[in-house]
Amino acid sequence: MPFRFNLYNLVKNNGNTLIPGFLFLFFVLGSASFSGAQTIRDSIIELEEVQVRAARIFEKETAGMKETRVDSLVIRQKLNLSLSELLAENTPVYIKSHGRGALATASFRGTASSHTQVNWNGININSPMLGMVDFSLIPVYIIDDITLKHGGASVSDQSGGLGGSINIANRADWTNTRQLSYIQGVGSFSTRDQFLMTSLGNSKIQWRSRVYYNRSENNYPFINRTIADQENGQLVHPADTNKHAAYSRYGTLQEVYWQPSHQHMVSVHWWGQMGERGIPRVISFEGPDNTNISRQKDQDHKAVARWQWYRDSDNITIRSGYAFRQLDYTLKNQISGTDPIPAVDSESFQQSFMQYVSYRKEFSQTLSLESAFNFDHHKVHTRDSVTQTGYKTNREDLSLFLALRSRLQKRVNMNLMIRQEFRGNEFSPIIPFLGIDYMVSKRHPLVLKAHIARNYRHPSLNDLYWVPGGNPELKPEKGFSVEGGIRHQWKPVGFNLQSEITFFRSDINNWIIWIPSFKGYWEPQNIRRVLSRGLETHAKVSGKLSEIQYHIMGTYSYTQAINYGDPARWGDESYGKQLVFIPQHSGNVLFNLQYKAYAISWQHNSYSERFTASGNDISRRNWLYPYYMNDLSLAKEWIFEKWNLQAEFKIYNLFNETYHTILYRPMPGRNFMLSLRLDLHDRR
Amino acid sequence: MLILHACMDDDALWETRPVPVSPSPEGVFIINEGNFMYGNASLSYYDPVEKIILNDVFFNTNGLPLGDVALSMTIRGNLGYIVVNNSGRIYVIDLETFELKGKITGLTSPRYMHFVSDEKAYVTDLYAKAIAVVNPQTYEITGSIDVNNHESEFYQHSTEQMVQVGKYVFTNCWSFDNNILVIDTDTDQWVETIEVPVQPQSMVVDANDKIWVITDGGFPGSPFGHEAPTLVRIDAHERKTEKMYQFDLNDHAMSLAINKTKDTLYFINRHVYRHPVGSDDFPEIFIQSTSPADSYGGFRALGVDPASSEIYVGDAIDFVQPGIVYRFTPQGQPIDTLRVRISPGNFAFKVTTP
Repeated sequence: MPFRFNLYNLVKNNGNTLIPGFLFLFFVLGSASFSGAQTIRDSIIELEEVQVRAARIFEKETAGMKETRVDSLVIRQKLNLSLSELLAENTPVYIKSHGRGALATASFRGTASSHTQVNWNGININSPMLGMVDFSLIPVYIIDDITLKHGGASVSDQSGGLGGSINIANRADWTNTRQLSYIQGVGSFSTRDQFLMTSLGNSKIQWRSRVYYNRSENNYPFINRTIADQENGQLVHPADTNKHAAYSRYGTLQEVYWQPSHQHMVSVHWWGQMGERGIPRVISFEGPDNTNISRQKDQDHKAVARWQWYRDSDNITIRSGYAFRQLDYTLKNQISGTDPIPAVDSESFQQSFMQYVSYRKEFSQTLSLESAFNFDHHKVHTRDSVTQTGYKTNREDLSLFLALRSRLQKRVNMNLMIRQEFRGNEFSPIIPFLGIDYMVSKRHPLVLKAHIARNYRHPSLNDLYWVPGGNPELKPEKGFSVEGGIRHQWKPVGFNLQSEITFFRSDINNWIIWIPSFKGYWEPQNIRRVLSRGLETHAKVSGKLSEIQYHIMGTYSYTQAINYGDPARWGDESYGKQLVFIPQHSGNVLFNLQYKAYAISWQHNSYSERFTASGNDISRRNWLYPYYMNDLSLAKEWIFEKWNLQAEFKIYNLFNETYHTILYRPMPGRNFMLSLRLDLHDRR
Repeated sequence: MLILHACMDDDALWETRPVPVSPSPEGVFIINEGNFMYGNASLSYYDPVEKIILNDVFFNTNGLPLGDVALSMTIRGNLGYIVVNNSGRIYVIDLETFELKGKITGLTSPRYMHFVSDEKAYVTDLYAKAIAVVNPQTYEITGSIDVNNHESEFYQHSTEQMVQVGKYVFTNCWSFDNNILVIDTDTDQWVETIEVPVQPQSMVVDANDKIWVITDGGFPGSPFGHEAPTLVRIDAHERKTEKMYQFDLNDHAMSLAINKTKDTLYFINRHVYRHPVGSDDFPEIFIQSTSPADSYGGFRALGVDPASSEIYVGDAIDFVQPGIVYRFTPQGQPIDTLRVRISPGNFAFKVTTP
């Protein structure tokens, strides 16, 4: 076998510590008979599957809920990136990125990053300590399916998604018998990506393993406008590189699915990851070389076991999840003649144990019931060994959920959901959701959707207990939202158009922000009221023009997120102003053309100006000007008898623009990535 | 397709813009800290005669941002030395034109600058465990004074403000500390330590060579201890605490300043307090803050004009919008309100030589 040797080398280069020995054995023994491949053609087949599912746009279970599912073509295209990049470029979610490979948080509809709930295979993975998720740490490679639930729709999974929720999941491919796929990426700034996926199974049991290793020196050049050297009486800005910003990330996802009969389905997933990165100093830093050096280490383990039981119209799901997160942050300085000593050395351990039981019953075609019970136990221990500050605490959350869905007439679906929570010893107020769908036209499916909902988000453990400033008296944030929209689908032969427009209004009270008080340190307070209004649209067109397959998809959002906090504070200019870092206009578009074995994609993404000052002061130093970003990719596939090879060349920041997404954080200019993908598989 | 493409114009951000020439010889610099890691510190200039406020004078003049967290400014002759803490540098500007004249780089986390002579100045530091000795004329670092406290389990000593009595410089150690260090300027050595209550935040020296110190008492939950803030008087020669006023545990005292004749203290404890140095009474509120106690922002920076004894008080509001500076007469009557930039934290006064 000509490829066996290559394969072995590729696997070896991937880092032998990661790959259990039995995998090697499996590759070597099994490689001889691999055939077929996961190809561009397959992704189209998948795409069509998605569309078939999407055709059922009028279901009582989702009445009034806005859900968007990220196209599988997009997931495939962004396989080597982080979820933050995919969300920014292909969904209406705004990502605040602190730089390439750096912290990236998400905001739906003008809300805060902690208002976006994130679920992985059903379990919530928001940090109980911080309340939010760093999307730069989630590789797209471990995801099979991404569904966004906008605004109140997130109540179906949990409370707290005042902006919405992002659900990432894995699913079994029951047609698989043996499969192997390897991607090697080489990019600018010493970026190397390695991904290996292998799976084995039959119609009863499926096992799949993914391992990955990504790293980058991330040392891109830029002109440093914050430093000036005098040269012949002139101020000169030095050519600089992005220093102390290298990152690496490696991890694995293991999945086992077992369906002993049609009535039972059991699955177990484990995702482990280690991430390490430098946090670059401010670019205006002119202190000694070995000082002010920050590093962050993120270690994650998430596991979930699920058992599902089906019988005619009944379904029981039992799920048990565990999430572990260790975050180490250090700031070190070299002081005269010593090794660098830490000025900050903080370690936090976060653990969550999550139990879930649900029961669904379909009484008839027109009436269904869902009830669910969640019990989560969180443990957080955080400590800085230099200042010796920190806290250690536990929290228990209990949640009861009841939903009644009914088809009132042929054209009307109704969805009533109620959630009741207990935190610690406290009852939260009831969270109700009422959604309605009205089918205007069946021929060209056109559905009007609307909902009204209340929601709460409880303060994070840092909000309550951080030293100094943690405020145990904080109240939950309270959201009230209404939305309405139109969803449409048109599918004549060889052509497919889907579109949706949604208007939303969300009123959030007791919004928590960290702010310094007269006491001199920062503390969180329930001081804001934010009224967020706007619209979201998306459209997707695909079809075939003679030999050319085309896919065009895009989103546009208009967001007005205005602070209406207590205007009593004299001189406060933030009243009535747009929240910082929330663009009014944002949009993106992806064009993808495929001709025979060739594919070309163009990705565009833009935001209007963003303010960094709460009074919307636009002094030049504080202003983030409108953002327009373009990426281009070219791919070619070679199909052989027993294996397939795909080469893809990507150009990021096509027009080599100088830009910022955070003040004074340089971003990379035009840069490149070449990736090779080898696929071997067997399908029944 | 490519019609959508529009160039992001980064260059336009950096153009210099003419700054009007201030007609009066007097002037007040307001050092706006900006936000940590945002690189948006800035310099404002106020003409107290014409009542004109000019914001962003450094950026507009030089097409260069000041840096990350501008903490203090020291004036010597016709030059201003702006300490930019998290940029590890000191920018030197011309006081009349705001033009950049030079920079002192290679500082770890500089806080304040104090002139010992025209050729020698000290720069305190939060993290270096040393005070840098610099030559303000050549902009070079010429030495350092080791202040590493090997005995403490905390990161000590960080050094902050400086006052000088005779040949001795006194500097307060604020972060997880409770000491005043005494430095001999002849030998550039740390020679003595004076213990004070928890976290000495600011200091001044009065007409009688008495050093006054405000301690903020730390914060609830601090492993170094949390106690009531105090105002302490130390004799510069005896190096002993002579007098102490203790506030409430929930108070937060800060920003000690002194007037022209060095006989009246001013400081912030939510409100502005005034205290004559010879008085034995407990310090009293002088200017009431209108900002409610349960709200955000409020008075956080205080400066007293050494020429007129007028009082300037900074309020950062929510710390992410342009802050406000209030100007009062020495009697506490409001004169003017200025909208400056993010987090006004310090003042420097251009003193006209008679």
